[in-house]
Amino acid sequence: MWKNIYDWLDERLGLQSLYENLLDRPEPHGTWWNTLGSASLFLFVMQALTGIFLTVYYTPSPDHAYDSIQYIMNGVAFGWLIRGMHHWGATLMVLVVFIHMLRVFFSASYKYPRELTWMVGVMLFLLTLGMGFTGYLLPFNQRSYWATVVGTNIAGVVPGVGPFILKALRGGTDVSALTLSRFFSAHIWMLPAALAGLIGAHLYLIMRHGESAYPDADD
Amino acid sequence: MNEEYKNKVNKKYEKNLQKGERFWPDSIYKDLLISFAIFILLIGLASFVGVHPEPKVDPTDATYVPRPEWYFLFLFEFLKYFPGELEWVGATVIPGILVAALLLLPFYDKNPYRFYTKRTFALGLMSFIVGGMVTLTIKAATVITGPMALALFALVWGTLFFALHKRPEQKTATRKSLLWLATIGIFAIIGTAYVQTAALAGDEEEAVVANTIAEKMALGQDLYSLQCVECHGADGEGGTITVTAADGTEELLPVKAINTKDEMYTRNDETLYNIIAYGQPSLGMTPFGGAYGGELSTSEIEYIVTYLRYTWDDRAEVPADAVSSSIPALAEGEVPSYEVHISAVTKRYCVSCHREGKENNNYIMDNYEDLLNGGDNAPNIVAGDMNSILLQVIQGNEVNGQTGLIHVMPPSGKPLKDEYIDMFIRWVEAGMPNTAADAAALSTAAPAE
Repeated sequence: MWKNIYDWLDERLGLQSLYENLLDRPEPHGTWWNTLGSASLFLFVMQALTGIFLTVYYTPSPDHAYDSIQYIMNGVAFGWLIRGMHHWGATLMVLVVFIHMLRVFFSASYKYPRELTWMVGVMLFLLTLGMGFTGYLLPFNQRSYWATVVGTNIAGVVPGVGPFILKALRGGTDVSALTLSRFFSAHIWMLPAALAGLIGAHLYLIMRHGESAYPDADD
Repeated sequence: MNEEYKNKVNKKYEKNLQKGERFWPDSIYKDLLISFAIFILLIGLASFVGVHPEPKVDPTDATYVPRPEWYFLFLFEFLKYFPGELEWVGATVIPGILVAALLLLPFYDKNPYRFYTKRTFALGLMSFIVGGMVTLTIKAATVITGPMALALFALVWGTLFFALHKRPEQKTATRKSLLWLATIGIFAIIGTAYVQTAALAGDEEEAVVANTIAEKMALGQDLYSLQCVECHGADGEGGTITVTAADGTEELLPVKAINTKDEMYTRNDETLYNIIAYGQPSLGMTPFGGAYGGELSTSEIEYIVTYLRYTWDDRAEVPADAVSSSIPALAEGEVPSYEVHISAVTKRYCVSCHREGKENNNYIMDNYEDLLNGGDNAPNIVAGDMNSILLQVIQGNEVNGQTGLIHVMPPSGKPLKDEYIDMFIRWVEAGMPNTAADAAALSTAAPAE
């Protein structure tokens, strides 16, 4: 019975070749440090899932953002858990991605033939920081508001293009309703889409070149 | 990069693959284990640490000291070394160079070797940068000062570098144990600094954040007692205020009751909020919003509005966990204490005027010492003396004091409830005990029942 179902699916989906190509691959001996990449991916998926749940009740307007989060924390069943996991997931993700990058640096895994994997990885790291920065404003409390005022001010001191960047980020001269909707849009659509695409490229490159081996004294 | 080098690398990798493991299940197993541990950690953090509550945004509050999320703290701290004109160097040039250097790393790192002993410069530089970032973060987040941070940096960087730099004469075991020792030292310093910072932060007054309607009502009632009772009365019954016009003439203005159905039905929360924030200058009400010269933040005005709505609007459904009155009733024969009873009454009915910065003959009523001994007519209250000024004025008798005629209190004309007057009388009779324990001792001295 199960065999029949499996065979039927295999014939159409090619499960056997998927297994052979994706999972049943040889790789060099790894250590626990090698799990940081998949941990980053896991955290990305967790952030996506909890984030999707949060958008059900979150309202990206200055009048309602704070109250909608209070409602998530106190009114919605297990809202506090979803919000708490999203909040701490952000912190952990920055940490894990950064340590993953350091691991790759220290084991020299960015050298031939994995140069492109490294560059995509650096962009993933920058995007993760961007997610942290844009997500920080969304609760629209004192802390997040003023941190964004200061953060965008820093972007504004670039000579020449500074004022333009400042206006583009804020949607005007001050942090306002437009800033909130811009950051919201960046946080739930633009940056995640870019992240997802680059994660795909990162994974493809890893499969193409295989997991790197730890160098020994001869390397 | 020549073909010979590429061949060598690829051959070596083939060899590593042959003596290696399988992606499934060897490495997937480890990945899943770590991911599961992270999942448990997330649930634990969300359940037991939670998200720190912050007050609502108040764009007009220029006194707020902004702090970025912790992983940007190092940049925040770094910028302090580039004041004024130089800020753009620290804010854009140096981070920009570092990001570009990170991104293009494979192109300029021409060192063909991979083993760490042959990459001393690269590893040393990276350790230097990471050590600096860690130290700046710690410096920004804790009480560690500049010189201490410098010492810590030397320790962090030294450890990282020491761990990576090969010295053939040294045994691996010695090196490992030294490395462990230094790591533990670093964590001990960070831990101590963190605990100290947490202790300091605990001392600082932090804005109280209400989450539920009941909490908002409780905070709102306290704020109402302090800010509003002076003119509107303890129960919003209104009264009379003296307004000084621009030409110096004084005018008596009536304050209408605000606890009526009329008021509550015709003003929604937003209107109430605006009235409190902006005031009603034509009616003698000054603005209370922080942006307009008042003492209240956005969240605080909201708490007051919640309190008004749920106390006076008969359409509002008061949540079951709301505390209606925080003044405890006295049992037969029980002696009231300042701590439990008297302070609760003064907080609700007196402190709005009898605090710093108000016209009150310098009689401050928000603490035990000043209540007993303060004021221009001191003492206003004497243990056992039924003719004490305070007792007389709350019972509706005017008294001649050193400053002249002392009026009936509260001045709105609506006297305190009889049970509260009785509370004051019994308190004075018993000798004005401060703590609940003192009062209990006096109660038991009296015959039981």
